[in-house]
Amino acid sequence: MPKKYKSSSELKKRLWRNKLLYVMLIPGVLYFIIFKYLPMYGLIISFQDYKPYQGITGSEWVGMKHFSRLFTEPDFLNILANTLILFGMNILIYFPIPIILALMLNELRGTFFKRFFQTLVYLPHFMSWVIVVSISFVMVTMDGGIINELLAYFGFAKINFLLSPGWFRPMYILQVIWREAGWGTIIYLASIAAIDPGLYEASRMDGAGRLRQVWHITLPAIRGVIITLFILKIGSVLDLGFEHVYLLLNSMNREVAEIIDTYVYTAGLRQGQFSYSTAIGFFKSIVGLIMVMTVNKVSKKIGEEGVY
Amino acid sequence: MTKKSFTLLLSSLLTLSMLSACGGNNNKEAAATKDPGASTGTNTTATTDPATAEPEKPTEIKIMLPLNTTDTPPDTIKNEVEKLTNTKLTYQFFPADTYEEKLNSSFATGSLPQVTYLKNQTTFLQMKEAIKDGQFWEIGPLLSEFPNLNKLKPEILNNTKVDGKLYTLYIGRPLARQGIIYRKDWADKLGLKAPANTEELFAMAQAFTEKDPDGNGKKDTIGVVDRNELVYGAFKTVSSWFGTPNNWAEKDGQLAPEFTFPQYIDTMDFFRKLREGGYMNQDFAATSKTDAVNMFTSGKAGLYIGGSMQDIDSLNKDLIKNVPDAVLDTHSMVAGPDGKFAQWMIPGYNNVVLFPKSAVKDEAELKKILKFFDAMMTPEVANLMYWGIEGTHYTVVDGKAKATDNKELIEREVKGFKDSVIGEYETNGMYQSLNVLPGRIHAEELVLENVKYGVADPTAALDSATYTSKGVELQQIIADATYKYMYGQLDKAGFEKEVENWKSRGGAKIIEEYNAAYKK
Repeated sequence: MPKKYKSSSELKKRLWRNKLLYVMLIPGVLYFIIFKYLPMYGLIISFQDYKPYQGITGSEWVGMKHFSRLFTEPDFLNILANTLILFGMNILIYFPIPIILALMLNELRGTFFKRFFQTLVYLPHFMSWVIVVSISFVMVTMDGGIINELLAYFGFAKINFLLSPGWFRPMYILQVIWREAGWGTIIYLASIAAIDPGLYEASRMDGAGRLRQVWHITLPAIRGVIITLFILKIGSVLDLGFEHVYLLLNSMNREVAEIIDTYVYTAGLRQGQFSYSTAIGFFKSIVGLIMVMTVNKVSKKIGEEGVY
Repeated sequence: MTKKSFTLLLSSLLTLSMLSACGGNNNKEAAATKDPGASTGTNTTATTDPATAEPEKPTEIKIMLPLNTTDTPPDTIKNEVEKLTNTKLTYQFFPADTYEEKLNSSFATGSLPQVTYLKNQTTFLQMKEAIKDGQFWEIGPLLSEFPNLNKLKPEILNNTKVDGKLYTLYIGRPLARQGIIYRKDWADKLGLKAPANTEELFAMAQAFTEKDPDGNGKKDTIGVVDRNELVYGAFKTVSSWFGTPNNWAEKDGQLAPEFTFPQYIDTMDFFRKLREGGYMNQDFAATSKTDAVNMFTSGKAGLYIGGSMQDIDSLNKDLIKNVPDAVLDTHSMVAGPDGKFAQWMIPGYNNVVLFPKSAVKDEAELKKILKFFDAMMTPEVANLMYWGIEGTHYTVVDGKAKATDNKELIEREVKGFKDSVIGEYETNGMYQSLNVLPGRIHAEELVLENVKYGVADPTAALDSATYTSKGVELQQIIADATYKYMYGQLDKAGFEKEVENWKSRGGAKIIEEYNAAYKK
């Protein structure tokens, strides 16, 4: 918490003393101003019928027209529900996995194996979604995909993973886990590494086993990190990564796979309805903001630190 | 020591994957932003345009266009074009896959260059609203000043008019070049002839699946390979054989969309039976063009329907790498159940060029740019851009161009420009291609034959405001329903319900507007 300064000269003195730190702050602040705050000016077009040639100043104002179109769109509830379900799966299924993985990696003895497995699990993060989706396409296709061939070999019926609405969500979350879980462990492993080894030694003296150590020392020590990451994750509630879902989307699974991001893409960029898609994006950001603020408040209420 | 080298291996693997990951995301970007103009070393001022007496300053023109290959072409062709046309050209190539995005975002930010190529008819329809809004130059009245541009075919120009005015130059394409590319060696082995009607087509797909045409003793082949595309995939081509109209046709004195016709249902039934029998790839609703082509060229499938029969050259090239004794042929005369031939036709162009007012300041500048396009309509420049440099990329045999066997060279240096040549050989006087592959020669005959049975889209030159703003979005409802029907998840009643859904969400208005325009 910043202290109140008695006089402005004292403030100036402090600023001067830390001048280098402030200089280092400049690029960061500029980045946010130029790339995050200035573009907000563009949100204006969600209240206009934006015509590129006339620009923001020349386009006609239409008030909330685009927002009301969004909320009255017959598919809107469905799209919102799809988005929320995928988000829920991210939180309930994906979110705990890096934590568990980090705890497991931490229990590995011998730096070589630890490093090896850590590298192994985070490498997929560097593959683009196109590659991840193509690999799974090749594996699960009905036309000679290895999984379906195995199913057939063992006498089961082939499953149309790519085209059945029922398989879209499991495929989605499995791909997310495969690609991201290892990468997500890094920050947890770092915070585990920061735990005072003395704590473990003391607990061993008291006769605590491995599991007890994890439960009473490691987990409480990284609780703060978990909550911070959780709040940040909540902020991206309607932001699931357009590319991944778009690649999995097709005519047969649209009813479960169309999410806000893919809808913005089709309505906005493919069909040039700039104002409409800006309105959707605006709506998305507001929901995200409200969610972060709520969770942050709740987290402070129950005695944890928030992100701000 | 081993431990060390192992970490080294791992870390190098990691760096490699990072690099490739970054590369995967960025190479398109990089290819796109590479400024082709920056590396022009030629001294354009030194060369004089042979047509004009006094040396003029070269016109600077920025051109944005879709790129159908992976890499931006080098300046080889561009430098020659600049010399011939006294221009200084800056080509901005963007990958065709994401061209709509690029087009729309450039448009939204007012940064379209002087010459803007669209991607296809669909992107042209989407631009219509902006065109009506006066954001692009009208060029109709100026055409007569340019002797070569004036040769462009009036009937095709007519198809590209917006509210009766001409704003665009067109890139010409044969009216109907779709058909079948199939494994003639398989057909011969099984004693099959090219399918004369849709029943024989079905029988061929069935035989290719069940009768082990590759003779390896395993049931590992399929008949038709299709992809997630209803228009340029197999569906529309086959539907025209069934007698489905081309997008719209008159029914009870009114224009009605194709999916309200019984033939459309027949076509869906055809594909439904093909899929249920296992005679086509089961995942076609999720199969990309690349995957479909790979299935065909790896020797797994026997029939490639839709698309252009002229693609046989490239399919053949890749297929014989995998199956050296494979033989391909083309075919398109497939009669419907009523014994009649029909082929859907495009409106004679596959893309158009627009001139944004935000980049072209005045009519004088517009005329200078049109002068460049006028020059592009001369055989000299058209050949250069379409075929490349004589002796390097092609040779002339019997008055026709024979492309070099080095297909990669053409792909790299010429293809990018080839797709930008306006008009067609009848109007710009460029060489026709000398074909050696029998299937390709056959294809060229069929392309001419197709037109005789061609079915035009009656709405090609008509306007519907609702279609322009919502048509593509609404079409998705029909496309989804069509796939669901073919996969057996919708019955006829279910499909008709979706058509009603289409109508209630704007389709009825589209019908109304097209009919109003049609009556005029």
